[in-house]
Amino acid sequence: MKGKSGARWLVALLCVTALVGFQAASASAHTGEWAKFNYCPTTETGVVKCIYSLTTGGEVVLGSKKVPIVNPVTVQGGLSKPTSGVRSMFAATNGVTLSKTPEPVPGGLLGIVPPESSPWLVKQLSKFFFENGLTGVNATLELAKPVSEVKVNELNLESGSGVAFVLPVKVHLENPFLGKECYVGSSSSPLTWNLTTGKTSPPAGFEPITGSPGLGEFKEEGTLLQINGAKLVENNWSAPQATGCGGILSFLVDPVINSMIGLPTAAGHNKAILETTDDLATIGAVNLH
Amino acid sequence: MRTKMIGVILAAVLATLALGSVFTGIASAAPQWKFNGTALSGKEDVLGAAISSSMTIPGMTTTCEHFLYNMGIENASGTGKGEIKELPLFECHTSGACVVEAIEARALPWPTHLMTVAEKQYLFVEGVEVGILYEGPLCPIAETEMVVKGTAGGLISNATETATFNSSSFSATGAQLKVGGTPIEWNGVFPTEAFEWHREESLSVG
Repeated sequence: MKGKSGARWLVALLCVTALVGFQAASASAHTGEWAKFNYCPTTETGVVKCIYSLTTGGEVVLGSKKVPIVNPVTVQGGLSKPTSGVRSMFAATNGVTLSKTPEPVPGGLLGIVPPESSPWLVKQLSKFFFENGLTGVNATLELAKPVSEVKVNELNLESGSGVAFVLPVKVHLENPFLGKECYVGSSSSPLTWNLTTGKTSPPAGFEPITGSPGLGEFKEEGTLLQINGAKLVENNWSAPQATGCGGILSFLVDPVINSMIGLPTAAGHNKAILETTDDLATIGAVNLH
Repeated sequence: MRTKMIGVILAAVLATLALGSVFTGIASAAPQWKFNGTALSGKEDVLGAAISSSMTIPGMTTTCEHFLYNMGIENASGTGKGEIKELPLFECHTSGACVVEAIEARALPWPTHLMTVAEKQYLFVEGVEVGILYEGPLCPIAETEMVVKGTAGGLISNATETATFNSSSFSATGAQLKVGGTPIEWNGVFPTEAFEWHREESLSVG
Protein backbone atom coordinates (compact mmCIF):
# COMPACT_ATOMS: atom_id res chain seq x y z
CA MET A 1 0.00 0.00 0.00
CA LYS A 2 2.84 2.35 0.98
CA GLY A 3 4.71 1.47 -2.20
CA LYS A 4 1.64 2.17 -4.36
CA SER A 5 1.15 5.53 -2.67
CA GLY A 6 4.82 6.41 -3.22
CA ALA A 7 4.50 5.57 -6.91
CA ARG A 8 1.45 7.86 -7.19
CA TRP A 9 3.43 10.68 -5.62
CA LEU A 10 6.27 10.08 -8.04
CA VAL A 11 3.92 10.16 -11.04
CA ALA A 12 2.31 13.36 -9.76
CA LEU A 13 5.71 14.94 -9.22
CA LEU A 14 6.83 13.99 -12.72
CA CYS A 15 3.61 15.44 -14.16
CA VAL A 16 4.10 18.70 -12.29
CA THR A 17 7.75 18.87 -13.37
CA ALA A 18 6.77 18.21 -16.99
CA LEU A 19 4.03 20.84 -16.84
CA VAL A 20 6.35 23.46 -15.38
CA GLY A 21 8.95 22.59 -17.99
CA PHE A 22 6.38 22.88 -20.78
CA GLN A 23 5.11 26.24 -19.55
CA ALA A 24 8.63 27.60 -19.26
CA ALA A 25 9.35 26.41 -22.80
CA SER A 26 6.15 27.91 -24.24
CA ALA A 27 6.96 31.26 -22.67
CA SER A 28 10.47 31.58 -24.08
CA ALA A 29 10.76 29.12 -26.91
CA HIS A 30 11.63 31.58 -29.64
CA THR A 31 14.82 33.49 -30.26
CA GLY A 32 16.00 36.36 -32.43
CA GLU A 33 13.26 38.03 -34.46
CA TRP A 34 10.81 35.41 -33.21
CA ALA A 35 11.26 36.14 -29.50
CA LYS A 36 8.65 38.89 -29.76
CA PHE A 37 6.05 36.17 -30.38
CA ASN A 38 6.90 34.30 -27.18
CA TYR A 39 3.49 35.10 -25.74
CA CYS A 40 1.43 34.50 -28.87
CA PRO A 41 -1.25 31.88 -28.17
CA THR A 42 -0.17 29.68 -31.08
CA THR A 43 -1.88 26.58 -29.74
CA GLU A 44 -5.23 28.23 -29.07
CA THR A 45 -8.07 27.19 -31.36
CA GLY A 46 -8.97 29.92 -33.81
CA VAL A 47 -5.59 31.67 -33.77
CA VAL A 48 -3.98 31.81 -37.22
CA LYS A 49 -1.51 34.68 -36.89
CA CYS A 50 0.59 36.40 -34.28
CA ILE A 51 0.96 40.14 -33.91
CA TYR A 52 3.41 42.24 -31.93
CA SER A 53 2.91 45.98 -32.11
CA LEU A 54 5.29 48.30 -30.29
CA THR A 55 4.27 51.93 -29.85
CA THR A 56 7.37 54.04 -29.27
CA GLY A 57 6.01 57.52 -29.82
CA GLY A 58 2.98 59.66 -30.34
CA GLU A 59 0.59 61.25 -27.90
CA VAL A 60 -2.83 61.03 -26.33
CA VAL A 61 -4.78 64.24 -25.96
CA LEU A 62 -7.59 63.87 -23.46
CA GLY A 63 -9.60 67.06 -23.14
CA SER A 64 -7.13 69.75 -22.14
CA LYS A 65 -4.36 67.29 -21.20
CA LYS A 66 -1.70 66.13 -23.65
CA VAL A 67 0.31 63.06 -22.69
CA PRO A 68 3.27 62.21 -24.93
CA ILE A 69 4.07 58.51 -25.23
CA VAL A 70 7.63 58.32 -23.92
CA ASN A 71 7.62 54.75 -22.58
CA PRO A 72 7.06 51.96 -25.17
CA VAL A 73 3.62 50.35 -25.12
CA THR A 74 3.12 46.81 -26.42
CA VAL A 75 0.07 45.20 -28.01
CA GLN A 76 0.61 41.48 -28.56
CA GLY A 77 -1.37 38.32 -29.04
CA GLY A 78 -3.00 36.13 -31.63
CA LEU A 79 -5.30 36.95 -34.55
CA SER A 80 -8.30 35.06 -35.89
CA LYS A 81 -9.12 34.32 -39.51
CA PRO A 82 -10.58 37.47 -41.07
CA THR A 83 -14.29 38.11 -41.39
CA SER A 84 -14.83 40.73 -44.08
CA GLY A 85 -11.16 41.64 -43.67
CA VAL A 86 -11.39 42.13 -39.90
CA ARG A 87 -9.50 39.90 -37.48
CA SER A 88 -10.28 39.56 -33.78
CA MET A 89 -7.51 39.45 -31.26
CA PHE A 90 -6.68 36.66 -28.80
CA ALA A 91 -5.03 37.36 -25.45
CA ALA A 92 -1.29 36.98 -25.01
CA THR A 93 -0.32 33.89 -23.00
CA ASN A 94 1.29 36.01 -20.26
CA GLY A 95 -1.90 38.03 -19.90
CA VAL A 96 -0.21 41.21 -21.08
CA THR A 97 -2.03 41.86 -24.34
CA LEU A 98 -1.82 45.63 -23.84
CA SER A 99 1.12 46.44 -21.61
CA LYS A 100 0.27 48.60 -18.63
CA THR A 101 2.97 51.15 -19.32
CA PRO A 102 2.75 54.32 -17.22
CA GLU A 103 3.26 57.55 -19.16
CA PRO A 104 4.08 60.65 -17.12
CA VAL A 105 1.48 63.40 -17.40
CA PRO A 106 3.37 66.65 -18.02
CA GLY A 107 2.92 68.93 -15.05
CA GLY A 108 1.44 66.13 -12.97
CA LEU A 109 -0.89 67.43 -10.29
CA LEU A 110 0.41 70.91 -11.02
CA GLY A 111 -1.96 70.89 -13.90
CA ILE A 112 -4.88 69.70 -11.84
CA VAL A 113 -4.74 72.05 -8.87
CA PRO A 114 -8.17 72.26 -7.28
CA PRO A 115 -9.85 75.56 -8.00
CA GLU A 116 -10.56 78.00 -5.18
CA SER A 117 -14.17 76.90 -5.05
CA SER A 118 -13.23 73.29 -4.23
CA PRO A 119 -14.25 71.77 -0.88
CA TRP A 120 -11.90 72.50 2.02
CA LEU A 121 -10.94 68.82 2.43
CA VAL A 122 -9.92 68.46 -1.22
CA LYS A 123 -7.77 71.57 -1.02
CA GLN A 124 -6.10 70.33 2.17
CA LEU A 125 -5.38 66.91 0.66
CA SER A 126 -4.00 68.46 -2.49
CA LYS A 127 -1.85 70.79 -0.42
CA PHE A 128 -0.53 67.84 1.60
CA PHE A 129 0.57 65.96 -1.52
CA PHE A 130 2.12 69.05 -3.02
CA GLU A 131 4.08 69.80 0.10
CA ASN A 132 5.36 66.23 0.20
CA GLY A 133 6.49 66.25 -3.44
CA LEU A 134 3.88 63.69 -4.50
CA THR A 135 2.63 65.63 -7.48
CA GLY A 136 3.67 63.30 -10.29
CA VAL A 137 0.80 61.69 -12.20
CA ASN A 138 1.05 58.75 -14.55
CA ALA A 139 -1.49 57.85 -17.20
CA THR A 140 -1.68 54.18 -18.14
CA LEU A 141 -3.71 52.72 -20.99
CA GLU A 142 -5.66 49.60 -20.17
CA LEU A 143 -8.05 47.52 -22.20
CA ALA A 144 -11.64 48.37 -21.31
CA LYS A 145 -13.21 45.41 -23.09
CA PRO A 146 -12.35 41.74 -23.57
CA VAL A 147 -9.36 41.16 -25.85
CA SER A 148 -11.69 39.77 -28.51
CA GLU A 149 -13.04 43.32 -28.93
CA VAL A 150 -9.65 44.43 -30.25
CA LYS A 151 -9.87 44.27 -34.04
CA VAL A 152 -7.23 44.43 -36.75
CA ASN A 153 -7.73 45.06 -40.47
CA GLU A 154 -4.42 44.38 -42.22
CA LEU A 155 -5.59 45.64 -45.60
CA ASN A 156 -6.54 49.00 -44.10
CA LEU A 157 -3.31 49.03 -42.11
CA GLU A 158 -1.21 48.73 -45.26
CA SER A 159 -3.41 50.76 -47.58
CA GLY A 160 -3.76 53.86 -45.43
CA SER A 161 -7.54 54.00 -45.55
CA GLY A 162 -10.33 52.84 -43.28
CA VAL A 163 -10.07 51.56 -39.73
CA ALA A 164 -6.90 49.52 -39.17
CA PHE A 165 -7.08 48.95 -35.41
CA VAL A 166 -9.99 49.10 -32.98
CA LEU A 167 -8.82 49.58 -29.40
CA PRO A 168 -11.40 49.96 -26.61
CA VAL A 169 -9.36 51.48 -23.78
CA LYS A 170 -9.57 53.34 -20.50
CA VAL A 171 -6.99 55.65 -18.95
CA HIS A 172 -5.77 54.91 -15.45
CA LEU A 173 -4.61 58.07 -13.68
CA GLU A 174 -2.14 57.16 -10.95
CA ASN A 175 -1.02 59.25 -8.01
CA PRO A 176 -1.25 58.80 -4.22
CA PHE A 177 -3.76 61.65 -4.10
CA LEU A 178 -5.91 60.11 -6.82
CA GLY A 179 -5.87 56.62 -5.32
CA LYS A 180 -5.76 53.32 -7.21
CA GLU A 181 -9.09 53.43 -9.00
CA CYS A 182 -9.01 56.75 -10.83
CA TYR A 183 -10.10 56.03 -14.38
CA VAL A 184 -11.33 57.85 -17.45
CA GLY A 185 -13.36 55.28 -19.35
CA SER A 186 -14.70 51.90 -18.27
CA SER A 187 -15.94 48.65 -19.71
CA SER A 188 -19.40 50.20 -20.07
CA SER A 189 -18.06 53.54 -21.40
CA PRO A 190 -14.78 52.78 -23.12
CA LEU A 191 -12.67 55.22 -25.07
CA THR A 192 -13.13 53.54 -28.44
CA TRP A 193 -10.25 54.26 -30.76
CA ASN A 194 -10.91 53.46 -34.41
CA LEU A 195 -7.33 53.99 -35.48
CA THR A 196 -6.39 54.55 -39.10
CA THR A 197 -3.14 54.90 -41.01
CA GLY A 198 -5.02 57.22 -43.36
CA LYS A 199 -7.03 60.35 -42.71
CA THR A 200 -9.42 60.65 -39.77
CA SER A 201 -13.04 61.78 -40.01
CA PRO A 202 -13.67 63.97 -36.97
CA PRO A 203 -16.97 65.76 -36.41
CA ALA A 204 -17.61 68.94 -38.38
CA GLY A 205 -15.51 71.83 -37.17
CA PHE A 206 -12.47 69.74 -36.30
CA GLU A 207 -9.41 69.25 -38.48
CA PRO A 208 -8.72 65.68 -39.62
CA ILE A 209 -5.32 64.23 -38.88
CA THR A 210 -3.39 61.97 -41.19
CA GLY A 211 -1.51 58.81 -40.29
CA SER A 212 0.94 56.72 -42.27
CA PRO A 213 0.98 53.04 -43.27
CA GLY A 214 4.74 52.93 -42.69
CA LEU A 215 7.21 50.83 -44.62
CA GLY A 216 6.77 47.08 -44.93
CA GLU A 217 9.64 44.66 -45.07
CA PHE A 218 9.66 40.88 -45.27
CA LYS A 219 12.19 39.19 -43.02
CA GLU A 220 13.21 35.62 -42.20
CA GLU A 221 12.91 34.37 -45.78
CA GLY A 222 9.59 36.09 -46.24
CA THR A 223 7.90 34.49 -43.24
CA LEU A 224 7.78 37.60 -41.06
CA LEU A 225 6.40 40.98 -42.07
CA GLN A 226 7.64 44.02 -40.24
CA ILE A 227 5.99 47.41 -40.75
CA ASN A 228 8.19 50.23 -39.56
CA GLY A 229 7.15 53.82 -38.97
CA ALA A 230 3.40 53.28 -39.07
CA LYS A 231 1.39 56.13 -37.61
CA LEU A 232 -2.10 55.27 -36.36
CA VAL A 233 -4.35 58.22 -35.66
CA GLU A 234 -7.83 58.90 -34.33
CA ASN A 235 -9.60 62.09 -33.25
CA ASN A 236 -13.22 61.07 -33.41
CA TRP A 237 -13.64 59.65 -29.92
CA SER A 238 -15.40 60.92 -26.86
CA ALA A 239 -14.42 60.51 -23.22
CA PRO A 240 -16.71 60.20 -20.18
CA GLN A 241 -16.16 61.71 -16.75
CA ALA A 242 -13.41 60.41 -14.50
CA THR A 243 -14.48 58.00 -11.78
CA GLY A 244 -12.96 56.62 -8.61
CA CYS A 245 -10.45 59.43 -8.11
CA GLY A 246 -9.44 60.12 -4.51
CA GLY A 247 -10.67 56.80 -3.15
CA ILE A 248 -13.51 57.29 -0.70
CA LEU A 249 -13.41 61.00 -1.49
CA SER A 250 -14.10 60.39 -5.14
CA PHE A 251 -17.41 62.22 -4.85
CA LEU A 252 -15.31 65.29 -4.07
CA VAL A 253 -12.19 64.65 -6.18
CA ASP A 254 -13.84 63.39 -9.38
CA PRO A 255 -15.47 66.78 -10.08
CA VAL A 256 -12.09 68.49 -9.61
CA ILE A 257 -10.39 66.13 -12.06
CA ASN A 258 -13.27 66.49 -14.52
CA SER A 259 -13.12 70.24 -14.25
CA MET A 260 -9.38 70.44 -14.78
CA ILE A 261 -9.23 67.98 -17.70
CA GLY A 262 -12.48 69.17 -19.19
CA LEU A 263 -14.39 65.89 -18.91
CA PRO A 264 -16.61 64.66 -20.32
CA THR A 265 -15.38 65.60 -23.78
CA ALA A 266 -17.23 65.16 -27.03
CA ALA A 267 -15.65 63.55 -30.10
CA GLY A 268 -13.21 65.84 -31.87
CA HIS A 269 -11.66 67.29 -28.71
CA ASN A 270 -9.52 64.23 -28.07
CA LYS A 271 -6.70 62.76 -30.07
CA ALA A 272 -4.68 59.53 -30.19
CA ILE A 273 -1.51 59.28 -32.23
CA LEU A 274 0.46 56.03 -32.02
CA GLU A 275 3.79 55.62 -33.78
CA THR A 276 4.32 51.91 -34.10
CA THR A 277 6.45 49.07 -35.38
CA ASP A 278 4.27 46.07 -36.19
CA ASP A 279 5.34 42.47 -36.68
CA LEU A 280 3.11 39.79 -38.19
CA ALA A 281 3.63 36.10 -38.79
CA THR A 282 1.51 32.99 -39.12
CA ILE A 283 1.38 30.55 -36.22
CA GLY A 284 2.93 28.01 -38.60
CA ALA A 285 6.00 30.20 -39.04
CA VAL A 286 6.19 31.06 -35.33
CA ASN A 287 5.96 27.41 -34.29
CA LEU A 288 8.82 26.51 -36.63
CA HIS A 289 11.17 28.78 -34.71
CA MET B 1 11.05 108.45 -68.25
CA ARG B 2 8.76 107.45 -71.12
CA THR B 3 11.72 106.09 -73.14
CA LYS B 4 12.75 104.01 -70.13
CA MET B 5 9.20 102.62 -69.80
CA ILE B 6 9.11 101.62 -73.47
CA GLY B 7 12.49 99.94 -73.01
CA VAL B 8 11.18 97.87 -70.09
CA ILE B 9 8.08 96.83 -72.05
CA LEU B 10 10.19 95.91 -75.07
CA ALA B 11 12.50 93.80 -72.92
CA ALA B 12 9.50 92.04 -71.40
CA VAL B 13 8.03 91.31 -74.83
CA LEU B 14 11.36 89.93 -76.07
CA ALA B 15 11.73 87.78 -72.96
CA THR B 16 8.21 86.41 -73.43
CA LEU B 17 8.92 85.60 -77.08
CA ALA B 18 12.18 83.90 -76.16
CA LEU B 19 10.46 81.84 -73.44
CA GLY B 20 7.72 80.91 -75.87
CA SER B 21 10.20 79.62 -78.41
CA VAL B 22 11.87 77.49 -75.73
CA PHE B 23 8.55 75.88 -74.82
CA THR B 24 7.72 75.38 -78.50
CA GLY B 25 11.09 73.67 -78.86
CA ILE B 26 10.24 71.24 -76.04
CA ALA B 27 6.79 70.57 -77.45
CA SER B 28 8.12 69.84 -80.90
CA ALA B 29 10.57 67.37 -79.40
CA ALA B 30 7.76 65.29 -77.86
CA PRO B 31 8.24 61.69 -78.96
CA GLN B 32 5.78 59.97 -81.25
CA TRP B 33 5.04 56.41 -82.23
CA LYS B 34 6.54 55.51 -85.61
CA PHE B 35 6.23 52.52 -87.88
CA ASN B 36 9.07 51.96 -90.32
CA GLY B 37 10.23 55.48 -89.45
CA THR B 38 6.92 57.16 -90.26
CA ALA B 39 4.77 58.72 -87.58
CA LEU B 40 1.67 56.66 -86.80
CA SER B 41 -1.56 58.18 -88.00
CA GLY B 42 -4.73 56.73 -86.58
CA LYS B 43 -4.68 54.04 -83.95
CA GLU B 44 -2.88 50.76 -83.52
CA ASP B 45 -2.83 47.93 -81.02
CA VAL B 46 0.45 46.76 -79.62
CA LEU B 47 0.68 43.36 -77.98
CA GLY B 48 3.46 41.70 -76.11
CA ALA B 49 4.61 39.41 -73.37
CA ALA B 50 7.27 40.35 -70.88
CA ILE B 51 10.61 38.63 -71.42
CA SER B 52 10.92 38.75 -67.66
CA SER B 53 8.96 40.62 -65.02
CA SER B 54 9.13 40.80 -61.28
CA MET B 55 7.94 43.06 -58.51
CA THR B 56 9.82 43.43 -55.26
CA ILE B 57 8.45 44.50 -51.92
CA PRO B 58 11.53 44.74 -49.66
CA GLY B 59 12.36 41.16 -48.73
CA MET B 60 10.05 39.41 -51.19
CA THR B 61 9.96 39.28 -54.98
CA THR B 62 6.92 38.21 -56.97
CA THR B 63 7.67 36.95 -60.47
CA CYS B 64 5.16 36.23 -63.22
CA GLU B 65 6.22 33.79 -65.92
CA HIS B 66 3.55 35.08 -68.27
CA PHE B 67 2.98 38.81 -68.17
CA LEU B 68 1.04 39.84 -71.24
CA TYR B 69 -0.28 43.23 -72.29
CA ASN B 70 -2.46 44.86 -74.90
CA MET B 71 -1.90 48.57 -75.43
CA GLY B 72 -3.72 50.87 -77.80
CA ILE B 73 -1.47 53.63 -79.19
CA GLU B 74 -1.89 56.83 -81.22
CA ASN B 75 -0.22 60.16 -81.78
CA ALA B 76 -2.40 62.91 -80.40
CA SER B 77 -1.47 66.60 -80.41
CA GLY B 78 2.03 65.70 -81.52
CA THR B 79 2.72 63.27 -78.69
CA GLY B 80 2.61 59.51 -78.55
CA LYS B 81 -0.17 58.41 -76.26
CA GLY B 82 -2.18 55.31 -75.53
CA GLU B 83 -3.73 53.08 -72.93
CA ILE B 84 -3.05 49.65 -71.56
CA LYS B 85 -6.29 47.81 -72.12
CA GLU B 86 -5.47 44.33 -70.91
CA LEU B 87 -2.80 42.91 -68.65
CA PRO B 88 -3.34 39.23 -67.90
CA LEU B 89 -0.84 37.75 -65.45
CA PHE B 90 -0.18 34.02 -65.17
CA GLU B 91 2.01 31.59 -63.28
CA CYS B 92 3.16 33.97 -60.61
CA HIS B 93 5.28 32.92 -57.65
CA THR B 94 7.35 34.52 -54.93
CA SER B 95 10.86 34.27 -53.56
CA GLY B 96 9.47 33.87 -50.04
CA ALA B 97 6.99 31.78 -48.15
CA CYS B 98 3.94 33.12 -49.94
CA VAL B 99 2.07 31.55 -52.82
CA VAL B 100 0.28 33.82 -55.28
CA GLU B 101 -3.33 32.72 -54.98
CA ALA B 102 -4.70 35.42 -57.28
CA ILE B 103 -3.34 38.40 -59.17
CA GLU B 104 -5.31 40.86 -61.25
CA ALA B 105 -4.75 44.16 -63.04
CA ARG B 106 -7.56 46.55 -62.16
CA ALA B 107 -8.99 49.91 -63.09
CA LEU B 108 -8.04 49.32 -66.73
CA PRO B 109 -7.45 51.01 -69.09
CA TRP B 110 -4.32 52.66 -67.76
CA PRO B 111 -3.41 55.85 -69.70
CA THR B 112 0.08 55.99 -71.17
CA HIS B 113 2.18 58.61 -72.90
CA LEU B 114 5.66 58.92 -74.29
CA MET B 115 8.13 61.31 -72.73
CA THR B 116 11.72 62.36 -73.27
CA VAL B 117 14.11 62.67 -70.35
CA ALA B 118 17.78 63.49 -70.94
CA GLU B 119 17.41 62.64 -74.63
CA LYS B 120 16.02 59.20 -73.89
CA GLN B 121 12.45 58.12 -74.64
CA TYR B 122 10.24 56.60 -72.00
CA LEU B 123 6.77 55.10 -71.80
CA PHE B 124 4.93 56.51 -68.78
CA VAL B 125 1.98 54.54 -67.40
CA GLU B 126 -0.55 56.12 -65.06
CA GLY B 127 -3.25 54.66 -62.82
CA VAL B 128 -1.53 51.32 -62.30
CA GLU B 129 -3.48 49.09 -59.93
CA VAL B 130 -2.78 45.42 -59.33
CA GLY B 131 -4.44 43.34 -56.60
CA ILE B 132 -2.53 40.34 -55.27
CA LEU B 133 -3.81 37.74 -52.85
CA TYR B 134 -1.08 35.71 -51.21
CA GLU B 135 -1.58 32.45 -49.38
CA GLY B 136 0.49 29.85 -47.59
CA PRO B 137 0.83 28.43 -44.08
CA LEU B 138 4.00 30.46 -43.48
CA CYS B 139 2.95 33.57 -45.40
CA PRO B 140 2.59 36.55 -43.02
CA ILE B 141 0.21 38.34 -45.39
CA ALA B 142 -1.96 35.31 -46.12
CA GLU B 143 -5.64 36.06 -46.62
CA THR B 144 -4.94 39.76 -47.00
CA GLU B 145 -5.02 41.35 -50.40
CA MET B 146 -2.11 43.62 -51.27
CA VAL B 147 -2.87 46.39 -53.74
CA VAL B 148 -0.07 47.85 -55.84
CA LYS B 149 -0.86 51.38 -56.99
CA GLY B 150 0.92 54.21 -58.73
CA THR B 151 2.75 55.02 -61.94
CA ALA B 152 5.40 53.24 -63.97
CA GLY B 153 8.06 54.50 -66.39
CA GLY B 154 9.92 52.29 -68.86
CA LEU B 155 12.91 53.10 -71.09
CA ILE B 156 12.21 52.52 -74.77
CA SER B 157 14.87 50.99 -76.98
CA ASN B 158 14.30 51.42 -80.71
CA ALA B 159 17.10 48.98 -81.42
CA THR B 160 15.46 46.08 -79.60
CA GLU B 161 11.86 47.37 -79.83
CA THR B 162 11.38 46.95 -76.10
CA ALA B 163 10.34 48.95 -73.06
CA THR B 164 12.41 48.22 -69.97
CA PHE B 165 11.04 49.02 -66.53
CA ASN B 166 13.51 49.14 -63.64
CA SER B 167 14.62 51.41 -60.81
CA SER B 168 16.59 53.62 -63.24
CA SER B 169 13.62 54.16 -65.55
CA PHE B 170 11.34 54.83 -62.58
CA SER B 171 13.80 57.34 -61.19
CA ALA B 172 14.24 59.09 -64.54
CA THR B 173 10.49 59.48 -65.08
CA GLY B 174 9.54 60.16 -61.47
CA ALA B 175 7.29 57.11 -61.47
CA GLN B 176 6.50 55.26 -58.26
CA LEU B 177 4.61 52.12 -57.36
CA LYS B 178 3.59 51.46 -53.78
CA VAL B 179 1.87 48.88 -51.64
CA GLY B 180 0.32 51.11 -49.02
CA GLY B 181 3.21 53.29 -47.92
CA THR B 182 5.90 50.89 -49.09
CA PRO B 183 7.64 51.68 -52.39
CA ILE B 184 8.12 48.62 -54.54
CA GLU B 185 10.48 47.91 -57.39
CA TRP B 186 9.23 46.62 -60.71
CA ASN B 187 11.57 45.05 -63.23
CA GLY B 188 10.33 44.05 -66.64
CA VAL B 189 11.33 43.98 -70.30
CA PHE B 190 8.43 44.24 -72.72
CA PRO B 191 8.83 43.69 -76.48
CA THR B 192 6.55 45.90 -78.57
CA GLU B 193 4.88 44.58 -81.68
CA ALA B 194 1.98 45.92 -83.70
CA PHE B 195 -0.96 43.60 -84.01
CA GLU B 196 -3.32 45.25 -86.52
CA TRP B 197 -2.50 47.61 -89.43
CA HIS B 198 1.26 47.70 -88.94
CA ARG B 199 1.92 44.06 -88.22
CA GLU B 200 5.57 43.06 -88.76
CA GLU B 201 6.58 46.71 -89.25
CA SER B 202 9.41 48.16 -87.18
CA LEU B 203 8.02 50.12 -84.22
CA SER B 204 10.12 52.99 -82.95
CA VAL B 205 9.76 56.14 -80.91
CA GLY B 206 11.23 59.49 -81.80
